[in-house]
Amino acid sequence: MGLLSILRKLRSDHHKELRILLLGLDNAGKTTILKSLASEKIDQITPTQGFNVKCVNTPGFKLNVWDIGGQRRIRPYWRNYFENTDLLIYVIDSTDQKRFEETGVELRELLEDEKLSGVPLLIFANKQDLFNAAKASDIANLLKLHTLNGRTWQIQACSALKGEGVQDGIEWVMKTAGAKAKKK
Amino acid sequence: MAMESQHVADVLNGFKLNWMNLRDASSGKIMWEGTQDLSVPGREHQARVPKKILKCKAVSREINFSSQQLMEKFRLEQRILFHGRCLEEWFFEFGFVIPESTNTWQSIIEAAPASQMMGADVLSGNVVIETNFFDDELLVSTSKVRLFYV
Ligand SMILES: Nc1nc2c(ncn2[C@@H]2O[C@H](COP(=O)(O)OP(=O)(O)OP(=O)(O)O)[C@@H](O)[C@H]2O)c(=O)[nH]1
Ligand SMILES: [Mg+2]
Repeated sequence: MGLLSILRKLRSDHHKELRILLLGLDNAGKTTILKSLASEKIDQITPTQGFNVKCVNTPGFKLNVWDIGGQRRIRPYWRNYFENTDLLIYVIDSTDQKRFEETGVELRELLEDEKLSGVPLLIFANKQDLFNAAKASDIANLLKLHTLNGRTWQIQACSALKGEGVQDGIEWVMKTAGAKAKKK
Repeated sequence: MAMESQHVADVLNGFKLNWMNLRDASSGKIMWEGTQDLSVPGREHQARVPKKILKCKAVSREINFSSQQLMEKFRLEQRILFHGRCLEEWFFEFGFVIPESTNTWQSIIEAAPASQMMGADVLSGNVVIETNFFDDELLVSTSKVRLFYV
């Protein structure tokens, strides 16, 4: 499995615990990304009405990934899950041009929150398998990512459906978060 | 005081364990799934699991639950009991639970060497997965699943 094998590589002398938060608008593909990482079936995923937590336990290393629903009703509760986050993954449906502005506003709000200050950011520009997907570089421009100060960030084009790009993004995550992981 | 006990009743009545499954975590394949209401008090559920799960390098245990009420300090304790003795123990703090939410918790664990050394015939019927859910100190729900390796 993707996650386990990455964790095995990272195993170290220290006991480490990593908390990753997965956010983005509803329908962006957060849950699909999480399940595809674990090689699970992705054909029966329904909108998340709360959270999905995946805990991966290997000797000396613990990874907790929190996937929270992105529906409007749920977004006001996102902030309850910010505490102790080591890395934020923000997922965007690259074909949902009509909501690029909305997703940009939500992202800004996250980045302005004190509890997430300095937390590294990975953006998945998802659904690249569809013909009308915007390019990751165009999304980066639209979101003005180059203006982010004091934050490590990366944007990664991917298709959770085809399983393309996801692993690359996660390797960046583990490299980045692993470097600053807190000792247990 | 009356209000507090009303709140406790609302939390308990509004909580439901929807399903639970066991997977081979390397392939992501489900090896057992239970969809009865696993939280019916006092009832022990039985799972017939293919014995090849004991050979898996890593297994996943996943639980899906719903809560009507907001909770602030939600957590769980999971124990794997063999003849009533604790082989493994897991604690997890969720913290906040959104009102009217449905949530899943999945724990992926590399198989414990102890269980790999014992045969299916020794383990079968003698292993229980016990999961207790708490809001702070309030016991919200319990589930017990006895495993039979077939
Ligand atoms: N074509 C395509 N569809 C995708 C991709 N990723 C996800 N989807 C589809 O997009 C829809 C939403 O996916 P989810 O994973 O449920 O999205 P989510 O971000 O978890 O949504 P919420 O739980 O409501 O916040 C599903 O129908 C997925 O099959 C992708 O890479 N390509
Ligand atoms: Mg989801």
